[in-house]
Amino acid sequence: MRKRHILFIGLLAALLMALLFSFHAGTEGEAPASQAAQAAAVDSSSCVYPKEYMHTHHMQVLEDWKNTAAHEGPDAVHETADGRKLQKNLSTCLACHGSNRYFCFSCHAYANAQPNCWNCHISPLETP
Amino acid sequence: MKKVFIPLIMVALLALIPYVAVTYANMSYLFGVIIPYAAAFIFVAGFLWRLFDWLRRPVPFPIVTTCGQEKSLDWVKQNHLESPSTRFGAAVRVLSEVLFFRSLFRNTKAELHTGPELVYASSKWLWMGGLAFHWSLLIIGLRHARFFFLEPPAFIAALEHADSFLELTLPAFFMTDAIVLAALTFLVARRIRDAKLRIISLQTDFFPLFLIGGIVLAGMGMRYLEKVDILSIKALMMGLVSFSFEAPGEIGALFFVHLFLVSMLAIYFPFSKLMHAGAIFLSPTRNLANNSREKLHRNPWNKPGKFRTYAEYEDEFREKMKKAGLPVEKD
Repeated sequence: MRKRHILFIGLLAALLMALLFSFHAGTEGEAPASQAAQAAAVDSSSCVYPKEYMHTHHMQVLEDWKNTAAHEGPDAVHETADGRKLQKNLSTCLACHGSNRYFCFSCHAYANAQPNCWNCHISPLETP
Repeated sequence: MKKVFIPLIMVALLALIPYVAVTYANMSYLFGVIIPYAAAFIFVAGFLWRLFDWLRRPVPFPIVTTCGQEKSLDWVKQNHLESPSTRFGAAVRVLSEVLFFRSLFRNTKAELHTGPELVYASSKWLWMGGLAFHWSLLIIGLRHARFFFLEPPAFIAALEHADSFLELTLPAFFMTDAIVLAALTFLVARRIRDAKLRIISLQTDFFPLFLIGGIVLAGMGMRYLEKVDILSIKALMMGLVSFSFEAPGEIGALFFVHLFLVSMLAIYFPFSKLMHAGAIFLSPTRNLANNSREKLHRNPWNKPGKFRTYAEYEDEFREKMKKAGLPVEKD
């Protein structure tokens, strides 16, 4: 009885390992098709997502960008719904939004939300 | 099990009402302005009425319940915390009860072992669960000050920072969110698991737990999953605390679920056992000083008595007493 249990658990573990490896191989196998984003003239009339979405979800977009950029480096490219390709980088955001130094701070001060972006990044308020 | 599921269904229905009304009937003004104002009014008025009702009741006897040596002769050591003899000591005792649940710390549990042998042992689980639950609620409540002040006090910002210092998710995960959910789960499970507790538990025990659980889940859902526009929420809340009747902006329906459940809690509060929040301060068994051997506790129910002192008696009968040869105090 006990032996059969061990055999069963062993088989299950082997199956899990195989699954994990195949999954891992699958992700590796995909060719890094994306090229570095074209640093073409930035279209500042629309953001990477619709405005309403960005109002509520910008922090998650930024976190996703941070994580993918950290893993993929220059390959981290965001493709918008209308087909624009943008480098996942904070400076992509600031290319448009940096023109208003208080862009982040006016809302964040009002909502009393303190992000930790500027723990590492230089905030637009600190640049001359 | 009926008494568990009926409150659960009631909370689910309460959560559904604002969701449907705001999503399909566009009734955000009713649920964002009118009901919160009505709820706040009922809460404040009801709370004050309950306190007033208790305060006007006379306290005929000093019925303080203590579990320590009361103040006695000089060489008998008094237990100052458990049996205070001053008003200040009584206040400290009440506060230790409010902040640290002292009496719950002494909770014991009886278990019947084979033998048969009845064993009493200290049981701290309820104390821990209750403490975690109430303190989390307090911190969560204080954290909400950021919606009601343009610039909340510094200690609230510090509290928020400490609460989110794990920096697990974005927006940063608050520890108290997890703690309050765990404590709620424990408090519900505790009432269901043990047969003795299941029998004495009522719908009114489960309903507030489920209601607060619904509020917490709706709040967490807004923060972590189904995002809502926080600027409109702040504008609405700032308007509410400055007594304006401006219509709320475009806010997700989940916010109205949260606000409506909070309003329901506020309305339910003064008429339920949740009033223990105010009652603990007014319990004569706790807020009186144990000084019955030192001071006379006058029963307010006693009618003012008609007394005649011996001096008055002697004044009336002095001559007769002298004639009869009785001793008098004054000549």
